[in-house]
Amino acid sequence: MATSKKTMTLNLTDAEMSALEELCEKKDLSKTAVLRQALRLYQAVEVRAERGDKFFFEDEKTKEKAEVVML
Amino acid sequence: MSEFQIYLLEVASDAPIEGSLIEGITEANVNDWEDAWMPALARALQQLKEKGVDRRLWPQSRHWDWRRKAEAFKGLLAAPSFSIVCQGMTQGLMIVETLESCRLLQQKGKPLVYIQYLETAPWNRPGLTTERPRLTGVGTLLVRAAIELSRSEGFGGRIGLHSLPQANAWYANVCGMSDLGIDPTKENLRYFEMTPEQADAFIAKGV
Amino acid sequence: MKFEVTKEWCMKMARLEHEHGTDVEIGAGLFAADPSTQQPEYTVQESADPRIAFGRFVRLMRRGRKQTLEKLAEDADIDITELVEIEEDSHYTPEPRTVYQLASYFAIPSAKMMQLAGLSQQRDSHLVSEAIRFAARSEKVTDLNETERSALDAFVAVLSEQK
Repeated sequence: MATSKKTMTLNLTDAEMSALEELCEKKDLSKTAVLRQALRLYQAVEVRAERGDKFFFEDEKTKEKAEVVML
Repeated sequence: MSEFQIYLLEVASDAPIEGSLIEGITEANVNDWEDAWMPALARALQQLKEKGVDRRLWPQSRHWDWRRKAEAFKGLLAAPSFSIVCQGMTQGLMIVETLESCRLLQQKGKPLVYIQYLETAPWNRPGLTTERPRLTGVGTLLVRAAIELSRSEGFGGRIGLHSLPQANAWYANVCGMSDLGIDPTKENLRYFEMTPEQADAFIAKGV
Repeated sequence: MKFEVTKEWCMKMARLEHEHGTDVEIGAGLFAADPSTQQPEYTVQESADPRIAFGRFVRLMRRGRKQTLEKLAEDADIDITELVEIEEDSHYTPEPRTVYQLASYFAIPSAKMMQLAGLSQQRDSHLVSEAIRFAARSEKVTDLNETERSALDAFVAVLSEQK
């Protein structure tokens, strides 16, 4: 038995669509797959942030950390 | 929660036993871990101790707490979990993650299903008991589940994992995964990755 | 997710898994600490009292066997730093696995040890009151004297009671 899925229509600006298409190309994924990944990432980051964790990018060479601001 | 029919091999009778691969880890699975896996593990460790086996050779996952693991990843879209139930008992557990990227040069940066934790019940582990293992095929089916999830997500069957040391040979030789070497950032465990072609080859082994 | 496997596939692959011999332990994942959660997965309610008894119980059992902390930690396959916390800090919440290992080692039903350690949702009022009584009787702990010994024996009997 498959889990049920719900359909949604999404309106994107040209810039958003362009960014989405670029990610699809890079990741070799469909638009839906990219957006699902984005949702998973957003949820995962949000859960950690609620716990008080911070989200950083680290420069591999300098080991400098830059916080990713969560809106 | 989806459920799929699978078969495990009962070693004593060499017969197929029907079971289920289930998407998710439930309270029932965690209770099985607490009530059945842990006592069996404790007995097995006692035997290893009596035999004077070096602690470094003891199962490295012996400190795992599946209640905590299940709780930590509950509800996270990025961390699906799986269980295998057979003969009314949990036989295997797995938690994966879908946000990691491939490291292997030919697929670098592409998404894969990363196996965070995979464990089979103590009575099924050949190295852990003095008797024969009861059921085999659990590990294989969980790896297959990771591959199928990867395919369903559009990741082509790509999977990755850090192997517990005693499983290195299995992932390398039986699963045919690429060995990317010891990862010093992950407890010096060996990192393996599977390409779509390797996934097809692995599945073809059983055909 | 699509997942379709034939019985034949399962059998062939399971036999392959089995043929690989006795040194294969299929598993994957980091074997250090478990991931932290947003809230503690076991919330300690008003179980401070039994927890004092838990630490004291462990310490008396150890001393009754004339074991050092190192020896007990090694024999029970638990972390020594945790053992110290258990014995010294009555507000410490131990890892479930540690409690399980100690229960196994001391041959006490694990469900009761879990309750004593404040890790169980179950509330056995008889156990709680016995734990408090034991804690009171065993308060001055320097040597395991007659009073402590009989208090310990009585408490072990309570813990070992079949429900």
